[in-house]
Amino acid sequence: MSHHHDSKEPKQKKKVQVATGDRAILPEGATTIPVYIMGKRYEVPETLTIMKAMEYAGFKFLRGAGCRGGICGACPTVYRKPGDYKLHFGLACQTVVEPDMYLAQIPFYPANRAAYKIEDLEPNPEIIFSLYPELFRCVACNNCTKACPMGVDVLGYISALKQGDIARAAEISFDCIQCGMCASRCMGELPQYHIAQLARRMYGRAIMPRARHLAKRVEEIESGKYDEMLKSLQTMSHGELEKRYKEREREPDMAPNGTWLPANDPYL
Amino acid sequence: MGYTPEMKELIKRVEATRPARMEKARRGENFPALSLEERAVVLEKFHPDYQKEGRRPIRTGPDKGLVLPEEIASMLESRSMLRPENVDLSNPDFETDVLIVGGGGAGTSAALLAADAGVRVIMTTKLRHGDANTMMAEGGIQAAVQESDSPYYHYMDTIGGGHFTNQSDLVAALAHDAPLSIAWLESLGMMFNKFPDGRLISRHFGGSSRKRMNSAGDMTGAEIMRVLRDEARNRGDQITILEFCPAVELILDEDGKCAGAILYNMETREFFIAKAKATIIATGGNGRLHIKGFACTNHYGATMDGVVMCYRAGVGSTCLFSTQYHPTGVAYPEQNVGLLITEKVRGLGAHVLNIDGEQFCFPLEPRDVESAELIKEALEVGKAVITPTGRYGLWLDSPMIDLLHGEGTVRRELPAKFIQFERHGIDISKEPMLVYPTLHYQNGGIAINADCETTIPGLYSAGECTGGLHGENRLMGNSLQDVITFGRRSGAAAARYVNGGVELKKLTLDHVVKYEKELVEAGVENPMVAPILLPDYSTDEVASRRLLEIQGKLEAE
Amino acid sequence: MKVSYYPGCTLKTKAKNLEDAAVASMAALGVDFEELTRWNCCGAVHSLADDDLIHQVAPVRDLVRAMEQGSDKVVTLCSMCYNTLARANLLMRQDEVKRKTINDFMNEEKDYHGEVEVLHFLNFLRDQVGWDTVRNAVKVPLNGLKVAMYYGCTLMRPRNVAIEPIGDTRIMGEFLEAIGAAPVDFPEATTCCGSYQILANPEAAHDVSGRILESAIRAGAEAMVLSCPLCEFNLSKKQPEVLKKNKISREVPVYYFTQLLAMALGLGQEACRFDLNSECSVELLKNKNFPV
Ligand SMILES: Cc1cc2nc3c(=O)[nH]c(=O)nc-3n(C[C@H](O)[C@H](O)[C@H](O)COP(=O)(O)OP(=O)(O)OC[C@H]3O[C@@H](n4cnc5c(N)ncnc54)[C@H](O)[C@@H]3O)c2cc1C
Ligand code: SF4
Ligand code: SF4
Ligand code: SF4
Ligand code: SF4
Ligand code: FES
Repeated sequence: MSHHHDSKEPKQKKKVQVATGDRAILPEGATTIPVYIMGKRYEVPETLTIMKAMEYAGFKFLRGAGCRGGICGACPTVYRKPGDYKLHFGLACQTVVEPDMYLAQIPFYPANRAAYKIEDLEPNPEIIFSLYPELFRCVACNNCTKACPMGVDVLGYISALKQGDIARAAEISFDCIQCGMCASRCMGELPQYHIAQLARRMYGRAIMPRARHLAKRVEEIESGKYDEMLKSLQTMSHGELEKRYKEREREPDMAPNGTWLPANDPYL
Repeated sequence: MGYTPEMKELIKRVEATRPARMEKARRGENFPALSLEERAVVLEKFHPDYQKEGRRPIRTGPDKGLVLPEEIASMLESRSMLRPENVDLSNPDFETDVLIVGGGGAGTSAALLAADAGVRVIMTTKLRHGDANTMMAEGGIQAAVQESDSPYYHYMDTIGGGHFTNQSDLVAALAHDAPLSIAWLESLGMMFNKFPDGRLISRHFGGSSRKRMNSAGDMTGAEIMRVLRDEARNRGDQITILEFCPAVELILDEDGKCAGAILYNMETREFFIAKAKATIIATGGNGRLHIKGFACTNHYGATMDGVVMCYRAGVGSTCLFSTQYHPTGVAYPEQNVGLLITEKVRGLGAHVLNIDGEQFCFPLEPRDVESAELIKEALEVGKAVITPTGRYGLWLDSPMIDLLHGEGTVRRELPAKFIQFERHGIDISKEPMLVYPTLHYQNGGIAINADCETTIPGLYSAGECTGGLHGENRLMGNSLQDVITFGRRSGAAAARYVNGGVELKKLTLDHVVKYEKELVEAGVENPMVAPILLPDYSTDEVASRRLLEIQGKLEAE
Repeated sequence: MKVSYYPGCTLKTKAKNLEDAAVASMAALGVDFEELTRWNCCGAVHSLADDDLIHQVAPVRDLVRAMEQGSDKVVTLCSMCYNTLARANLLMRQDEVKRKTINDFMNEEKDYHGEVEVLHFLNFLRDQVGWDTVRNAVKVPLNGLKVAMYYGCTLMRPRNVAIEPIGDTRIMGEFLEAIGAAPVDFPEATTCCGSYQILANPEAAHDVSGRILESAIRAGAEAMVLSCPLCEFNLSKKQPEVLKKNKISREVPVYYFTQLLAMALGLGQEACRFDLNSECSVELLKNKNFPV
């Protein structure tokens, strides 16, 4: 896979080495730095993420890589830096290598999850307490919050749940990507992110008000209201479709949802 | 960390041309847009979908003769990982009613609906359950839920957006089911963005006539995926989930019905025979093929496995030649390469510039045209910046936004992007961004009907691996809806088929033997082995020292 | 002076009647009574054995939160929370070595040296609000209602955090008088209710609870007030079992002290929350023609 270069332009006549896909390269003049991957030293180009640096070093991920975009939670990594007693946490796909960092990935951490039937659950904190009695083992050490690569206030949502505030816990925990770092550091041995998931689902299902207009639309669809309309569209000529497409009236940008209704629209 | 000193030098050129460009922008003048004819030329020459170069007719299989990108064609003209004669199919390791291949949004929805219908399900997935493109979607999911909207307008917008090349039964199914999907997700406990009274917040998007984009924060896909995954885990009695266990080949029975798949435990390197009365392919997209070397927005396992397996078994494709490129993917810093930069940045007035800080295109051309112009500037004109990791980049002059709309606009309007770059030491309200087109979405794929049936009885497919719904151009928010609507449909249809009584005859891999014979007859030399399962990002230096692999390849040839 | 209010988890879940009544009463008295915006469980469920520093982390973190918010006083309603926060505060004020260890461990927070004062609500009422203010605000004096004052143990022990000197405890009596009730002292007023024994050894807990109730009845009380959700659980929620086991024939209505305050201030049911008390508690008030 090589790009062709036109020689007309003087600017970049020199043949440049170009990275393709996600493969990192070491362009001329770039510097490398040492990093210790699970204790073993490798030289990798600076500015790479831990993930790409490991690939550059020759690792091929099986575990420890998923979305490569900071949202799936497959690549949590712990590291230390020389002269700094602190443990650092980051996503391998988002964290840039630093000279002499010592790192290890923790692609999986065991955490028990309670099974439940969401349709039978009242949005009641007591239910969360009975499914996860270990909630009360939290000693507020805050290790979880310090470990979270997404900056979620984990102790905050655990506290909210102990206080019976499901809505608050749902909102605080919304950015959780379920990487498991909090559980790996927990003194009380809690599976925080599973508890938060339960809270969010209770909140979404039974505490946030349901969308009434949606229920009405579902009824309309199930009663067959749009069946004929959709059928006739499927057999419509290209010309007619194109004409109707151009004629569509556009809902005004500034109209708040639920306020604008076109007059005499036979297709609603 | 931020930009290197060399790059900072280059930024000075951008700053040098900025005052004059600002003057013009304030006067409402912009770089002239292309005429329709000029558009056609630049697309033809530089858009990867239009370019003749890098595309060729496929020589084997049900779509023989169809012109496809080189990477796709050679992946379809491939051999199996397995030698069929060595595989004993008589003692299946797993037996189930429905086998689902792929645990993204489509696969997991299918599993839940099949379980609802009372059948046993095995869902097998390549990485962890949820390591999928579904997890990555930020923007939203379409559904005509507001009073101002209806399935009619959803149909219209979708088919017009797809230049009327869409498969109409699929579009009708999508428009019909979309509100049902949203209600289903709501009942499962998904946290949609809502007004305090419960009304969904729906927005406009490119190509919409009505406000139809529903979302959950700026991580709609992740919220969908988390909820579906959690629910699947609640159904452990009916749904068995096998992680790190991709399917590598379909199994048929003597009558030509689909009878399951061969699974590969990537950790122990064991193969397993999974016999199933019905099979659903939901393996997602192909961004990781890096067509023409482009970076991509997709997850690590997006390697088109499902299309490969189905093609080998005789199932053809729809619109597989069509790929969506997003014109502005991140080119620097390296850790964000390929990730999306929303169109909104250009919408707010940022210019696209070359290495000398010169404008070379109208910043708001249609996506495909804009992508082609950036590629042209890099490849033909040669005025792209080369990043420290050897990538092409063109400037997107984001500091113009605050200058045009007032201090703080960037932070307010683009909070997620601002933070993403700030984390790496770049303040995009003060320094421009480096961008280059990125591979985003597999528009086409496995041919299905509105019940997700393929041409093989007992074989279903849903989600990004299928084709037809979007035609040659997908609208934002329709793919998340695609995976829920058709994921659900496929699960229900497969369960119906199983509940109707299915009797499997002797299992075979004859279709593989037959296809490999066809490869020989068509003169395909050294066919690759596929599915590839994961991309290989090792450097040439590393690869050249992997003597065992090199030896193995030589022996195979 | 800024005062923060620390509710504690139990008040948010199982003892809403303790909290709602207090919050509404403070509003009625025009006292600024603001809940901490961030707080965690004080951890009273763990033992505070002195060498087990990790359990001090939770209450100290709450004290840091109060300090962060610029408060120099934090008020609690629950006796257990009071006890936990007050003991942790004492430790941070007095034990330099442990203070340093805890501050080092929590180095993501500001250092804490005991800057905040921990107050129980009763002390807060007496010292910051004043009995006269309370008396003047009373709309429904609890004319002569004979109420046993049950302190339990965590308000009084250990000695160095007791809300009043042991042997000279008047605060509950002063409070009851201020709202027009007749305080009844009784021998078992500071006997432990059995506490968490109720889980491991319910029989033993029922025995002590029985002793306490009997003692109150014998002293002539019609009802009992307390300030701890666990006492409430043992003495009221579990009362049917306690009465049966100890062959006591009379039921004893039990209230949180804040509920009587709210009723005396003329606040409605949403404030008093007698709906969360036992049936006999509501009946007694009805019989006395109090507005329930
Ligand atoms: C960055 C990004 C942003 C997006 N934003 C939006 C948006 O805002 N709105 C919208 O509608 N769409 C958006 N999309 C598109 C949308 O997210 C996807 O098209 C859709 O989620 C695909 O779902 P799926 O279930 O078909 O595939 P996926 O979610 O990709 O799931 C496929 C699964 O199958 C597994 N798999 C693959 N091969 C095998 C095998 N051989 N055996 C077993 N398992 C296998 C994969 O590992 C994966 O888990 C976005 C996509 C990306 C990448
Ligand atoms: S809350 Fe826990 S699981 Fe969720 S992202 Fe943070 S560390 Fe990971
Ligand atoms: S790590 Fe565990 S114990 Fe510590 S604060 Fe978090 S949840 Fe509580
Ligand atoms: S007393 Fe109990 S419930 Fe109350 S805060 Fe302290 S520990 Fe948590
Ligand atoms: S619960 Fe019992 S143990 Fe606790 S304070 Fe109340 S009396 Fe003491
Ligand atoms: S790979 Fe998904 S978060 Fe890093």
